[in-house]
Amino acid sequence: MCEPSTFRAAVALIGAVVVTCSAQVARKPQTPDISSSARHSLELAKKGHCAEALPALRRSFSRLGDKDLQRETGLGGVRCAMTLGQPDAAADFLQILGREFPNDPEVLYVLVHAYSDLSTRAAQELAHVAPDSEQAHLLDAEALETQGKWDPAAAEYQKVLQKNPRAAGVHFRLGRLLLSKPNPGPDMAEQAKKEFQEELKIDPNNAGAEYVLGELAHQDQQLDDAVQHFSRAASLDPSFGDAFLGLGAALISLKKFSEAIAPLEAASKLEPANPAAHYNLGLAYSRVGRKPDADKEFAIHRQLTQNNKGQDQGDPSQNPN
Amino acid sequence: MPPLTRRHFLRGIAGPLFVHRLGRLARALPDLLYPFEEIPPSRSGITWRHTAGKSPEKYLPETTGAGCAFLDYDNDGWIDIYLVNSGKCDFYVPNPPLRNALYHNNRDGTFADVTEKAGVGAGGYGQGVAVGDYDGDGFPDLYVTQYGRSILYHNNGDGTFTDVTEKAGVAAPGWCSSAVWFDYDNDGRLDLFVCHFVDFDKAKSKDCHAGEDAKRGYCIPHLYKPMPSWLFHNNGDGTFTDVSKPSGIGNYPGKAWGVVATDINNDGRVDLFVANDTVANFLFANRGNGRFEEIGTQAGVAYSAEGRPRSGMGLDSADFNQDGWMDLFVANIDHEMYSLYQNNHDETFDDEALATGIGQATRLMSGWGLKFFDYDNDGNLDLLLANGNPDDLIEELTRKQVGYHEPLLLFHNNGQSWENVSSRSGPVFRKSLSARGLAIGDFDNDGGVDVLISVNDDPPVLLRNKTGGHNHWLGIQLVGKKANADAVGARVIYQAGDLKRSRMKVGGGSYLSYHDPRMVLGIGQRPKLDWLEIQWPQPSGRLERFTDLPIDRYITIVEGEGKWK
Repeated sequence: MCEPSTFRAAVALIGAVVVTCSAQVARKPQTPDISSSARHSLELAKKGHCAEALPALRRSFSRLGDKDLQRETGLGGVRCAMTLGQPDAAADFLQILGREFPNDPEVLYVLVHAYSDLSTRAAQELAHVAPDSEQAHLLDAEALETQGKWDPAAAEYQKVLQKNPRAAGVHFRLGRLLLSKPNPGPDMAEQAKKEFQEELKIDPNNAGAEYVLGELAHQDQQLDDAVQHFSRAASLDPSFGDAFLGLGAALISLKKFSEAIAPLEAASKLEPANPAAHYNLGLAYSRVGRKPDADKEFAIHRQLTQNNKGQDQGDPSQNPN
Repeated sequence: MPPLTRRHFLRGIAGPLFVHRLGRLARALPDLLYPFEEIPPSRSGITWRHTAGKSPEKYLPETTGAGCAFLDYDNDGWIDIYLVNSGKCDFYVPNPPLRNALYHNNRDGTFADVTEKAGVGAGGYGQGVAVGDYDGDGFPDLYVTQYGRSILYHNNGDGTFTDVTEKAGVAAPGWCSSAVWFDYDNDGRLDLFVCHFVDFDKAKSKDCHAGEDAKRGYCIPHLYKPMPSWLFHNNGDGTFTDVSKPSGIGNYPGKAWGVVATDINNDGRVDLFVANDTVANFLFANRGNGRFEEIGTQAGVAYSAEGRPRSGMGLDSADFNQDGWMDLFVANIDHEMYSLYQNNHDETFDDEALATGIGQATRLMSGWGLKFFDYDNDGNLDLLLANGNPDDLIEELTRKQVGYHEPLLLFHNNGQSWENVSSRSGPVFRKSLSARGLAIGDFDNDGGVDVLISVNDDPPVLLRNKTGGHNHWLGIQLVGKKANADAVGARVIYQAGDLKRSRMKVGGGSYLSYHDPRMVLGIGQRPKLDWLEIQWPQPSGRLERFTDLPIDRYITIVEGEGKWK
């Protein structure tokens, strides 16, 4: 059974944004053109006549040429749709608002709260209609994990596995959770490793599980194993830059500098802003005598590292030693 | 599924792989069997303690000091002790005033405070100390680094010192940390490198807050501007010339905590490895003609394996694997691991920390003072690490995953691999300290190299090594004549039966601290030392070979005399 408290998290602010709709019946709009209709509907919405205003707001919103009016209509539409509990209508407004006003702080603010509210409503619905379903437990586990409630989260993941022992992704999440716990026990890495191995039995195509097993093997200095896991991860997901980076780093640890170059070149192409890819590629080039190439990669690394140090001499808040 | 990046993974995995275990067996061992014994102040007579002057404003220097040294200031053959304290500065006015301390070795395991007579109390906000006979008069001089202005004390040879900073021109204003005496231009005189940390004063101090209730904490140094370190050339007349810029060193702003002078490429010119905090470490390769080339990145010692700058603090250099090439070690902050850099003989290094187990053992530790030395005289260089997190909020911020006070770590080198022997090395290894400086030296002349650890805002910890008599050894003091007086850069090769070993006398190493100038050469249970060769540093370059050597005592070898005494 899902914890109801889990689903009660983040709705409060949207309430403040949304205009409450009254039960009053508004007069029929008299204005003939779209702009007039939109303005009239907005007035109705502001007075709380959402049931009457919403159809007209929907009709006029996408057709308005006046950007300011379109923005106001969209925001009013979102508020009314959320108030009336019409998620489809809200989603339509949100989609167009996001597209037409991507840099507008007020629009973005409303988007955050509306999507959050939609998410919460969907979660409540899931808890209501299928409280003991695999998906409800999964959602609950993820919420608990996000809150750092590691043991309750693990218990919920186990419930998912009780209902469906071959549920894909759950062993991966359990392994990740084990690695995230503060003050872990001495065998935690080993336990996590088993979870990732279990995941691969269920889903042999899980590149993430292969990747983490590669990192664990690298940490344990089982470098040949690390190379195998990273290679499989990279082959399963050719866009997985970190897998190529892990492979290159493991090959460097094995002092196989020539072999490390190809995966590291791939990593630096896939993740051109990742300093680690360029640093390791520079090292590999350097060790095989390609000094100009190495210098070039080290220069990119240095530039990226300096860029990443944006906080240098910046805001000291939340920057303890 | 939320993405799991390499960087997130590396941080997340830190906990499960680090466990500092204390074996049941270790706790059951009687104290007599442990190699190290803590000598309390009631036995040593060392009643001085460090005061950090910790304030609500959390000025960063409060958490970084201070250093200590073993030195024989009066040349009586018994190692004395120097300890650095905080003092008056723009953010701290201690009442009553604080001072550094010089303790004379009474030759019976006790020490006497002779600071006032010697005139080496300093009084500024002290950080570290470097010891070297810069004028070649046979008496070691003191360079005390401070936040504000550093001090050069010339040893008068009569138990007193004179502050000659202004005449010498080595005040190095700002926040200095470690310093090292070495002869960079092979003219036979000791020059001086001084680490400069960040651009800091009371007005530039930043407010940093952390945790759910936004408590005030010590700032991460990346908030402060890096500064170039100093290189002072010894003119031979008691004065020095600032050659930071022409040498190339001044072109590299860093945040330097530690420095060791060593020869990484066996070219006879002493290089510098500098540990920087939150920026890349420097490896200054000495190219001759007074020029240094910074090669840290190409050498593979500037960054972590992920290409990230770390918080380098303490460091050292030694040929730990006996391949004839000097290796490097640097300690970092929690979640970064320390690095053991093995020399590839081509000005590149590979980090062997993970392969040796040192990486896992130090994953959550923050390291300061450290030193390679052969504590059990078996002929292999071991490694002692002094630790402690600089952030007094760290336990709250990490839910006690990382400790503020941390234990010492001792790794034994058996010639093939490293073993963490901390749990069976003495009760002191079960204590948690806010350790900073670490100096090695044999204060009781029994051949077992002892340890002095300075502790932030606490009394120092003196460890007596009880293994001195278990194996045979020879202690040597090298005195350069044409070469620099302290023989920094000298290489010593010795053979005892099947054991052949090579050692280099490095300059400095550790953190804010300096060491007994004598080298103790362990030979295990072998009954005699067959021969010993000394390759004196340039401009001498002389190779001297000695046979018929004694064991289990100290001797002095003066360059060019062809004999020991």
